[in-house]
Amino acid sequence: MDFNQQREQAAADFKERGFPTTKEELWRFTNVSPVADKEFSDEWKASNLDYQPLGKICVVFENGKLSLEKSSFDNLPQGVCIGSIMDLVDPRIGTLADTQSAFVAANTGYFSDGAFIEVADDVEVDEPIHLVYLADVDGAAFHTRNFVSCGKNSKITVVEEYIGSEESTYWTNSVTEVFVADGGDVDHYKIQLEGKASYHFQTLEGHVGADAVFSNHTVTLGSVLGRNDIRGKLMGEGGLAICNGLYLLNEKQHFDTHMFMDHAVPKCNSHELYKGILDDKSRAVFCGRILVQKDAQVTDAIQSNKNLLLKRGPKVHSMPQLEIYADDVKCTHGATIGELDEVALFYLQTRGIDPVAGHAMLTFAFANEVLDEVKNKAVKSKIERLVNAWLERVTA
Amino acid sequence: MALLDIKNLHANVAGNKILKGINLSINAGEVHAIMGPNGSGKSTLSNVLAGNEVYEKTEGELLFDGQNLDDLAAHERACAGLFLAFQYPVEIPGISNMYFLKAAVNAGRKHRGEEQLDAMDFLDLIEDKKKVVQIRNDLLERAVNSGFSGGEKKRNEIFQMAMLEPKLGILDETDSGLDIDALRVVADGVNALRSPDRGFLVITHYQRLLDYIVPDFVHVMVHGQIVKSGGKELALELENDGYASWAGEEGP
Repeated sequence: MDFNQQREQAAADFKERGFPTTKEELWRFTNVSPVADKEFSDEWKASNLDYQPLGKICVVFENGKLSLEKSSFDNLPQGVCIGSIMDLVDPRIGTLADTQSAFVAANTGYFSDGAFIEVADDVEVDEPIHLVYLADVDGAAFHTRNFVSCGKNSKITVVEEYIGSEESTYWTNSVTEVFVADGGDVDHYKIQLEGKASYHFQTLEGHVGADAVFSNHTVTLGSVLGRNDIRGKLMGEGGLAICNGLYLLNEKQHFDTHMFMDHAVPKCNSHELYKGILDDKSRAVFCGRILVQKDAQVTDAIQSNKNLLLKRGPKVHSMPQLEIYADDVKCTHGATIGELDEVALFYLQTRGIDPVAGHAMLTFAFANEVLDEVKNKAVKSKIERLVNAWLERVTA
Repeated sequence: MALLDIKNLHANVAGNKILKGINLSINAGEVHAIMGPNGSGKSTLSNVLAGNEVYEKTEGELLFDGQNLDDLAAHERACAGLFLAFQYPVEIPGISNMYFLKAAVNAGRKHRGEEQLDAMDFLDLIEDKKKVVQIRNDLLERAVNSGFSGGEKKRNEIFQMAMLEPKLGILDETDSGLDIDALRVVADGVNALRSPDRGFLVITHYQRLLDYIVPDFVHVMVHGQIVKSGGKELALELENDGYASWAGEEGP
């Protein structure tokens, strides 16, 4: 079945199956009926939204369509190919994304644009490849499909940034497939700043080769209802997957993170640190499943989900799940949901720092732990600014 | 006027009476040691002085450098020159030690109406204080106390004290959990900070620390009261006889 047939099949599957309901285990705490019950259009218009390119390579999707006018990706280094997924082909597109997911099926069936990034072997790209998705058409659905292939011993940084209008109710349904060949290193970020009336769903899949590194950070501030499905597949010995994230939620936001780390072969490591700060009546779901297959001896997997509640109103469902079929493994997981540590506040006070400043400092510190592994300086300072601005807004 | 005057101090924790009438006066330039068995109220005393609201002062008077401590919240006491070195220093992941120290130093400066230190001046101050208390650069760059060994945490406390230049340093069982080398480092730091304008209150269970920080006065605390005061020789007496003669059947 070629990919076009696969797409038709996926669209038919989605039509038949429809959206998941809370009766399904994987969707128990996330009710997607606001998306399911709404009719979305494929209307297009130019976007009025602003964005700040992180560097020289910036690929802009304007309401779902690649805008060559707004993008800048000429003079790419040798061995780097960037373009629209509608123009470029690779037999691996569609082979990674979870076919069980209704959102992936809808995306496969209906996607109309997205980024295609292919980097040859032994190429190091210093500049981050910045993908910007602007959304400001009320009532529209944006199915964007991205494909990233990093060659052997190559090194790239990819930043997906989703920016939306606060007034528009739209649905972003994105799928990103990342292939990291042996010895490769992909540092991937997703910064989600969708409008507060929007729905944002993304499935991110990383296929990690031998001695390769797939590092992923998600920072979520936007959307009223959304979910990240992050799936790492460690397929070669010596692979490392780092999946860290931060969600900052307030008002009636609901955000769900489903992580699936698949240790298929021996001697791989995975680190997951997910932290959330919740205010008002917001809701967060975290489900972290680690699968260590029978052959995956000498696995080292760490998972941690920590949540800080700024008030009594928010709720968090945190569900770590370990599934281990090998015997020589080191797996740890932990989940916490709580308020700021009174002892730490007193400690700061005894050093002269007043309680208001101490609160702000400890709240920032809580978030900042996730940023420790953000290697790219431009990305790090961008995230720091976003976190600080958010904290100032909710504590004002 | 004494630097710290404690008069008839009574305090509760979670409704339990812990301190039952403490009287103690510390002058600038003096080092006082309080010794006592576990549960005698030593740590309660240090927490009440530092302004921990978990501890409830029920009676008595606390005068520090002419100010009534009842009028000052914990951070105001710190800015006024009172420093508590914690028995269990708190780990704060996500905040670098340097950032934390700068915030603390500048909070004190703001309180005193002095200009804020900029990055360059602050680094100069750090270099200056490293001559008093040696601390590795990586400990300054790492998150506050995060993953520090017991010795490193205590060294960090003493370094903070050097940076903040308090009028009174309270050391709450700073020796607990330290091996002899770490103990010596901490004691050397404290000794370097001894000065005619600064007082110390050293709280300890064991006499060992007082071999290195030689006190001017030693007080024995049992059941929330000071039962005996004397010179440094009192510590040796305790080392030989233990607390049993004061503690009665509730002793260790």
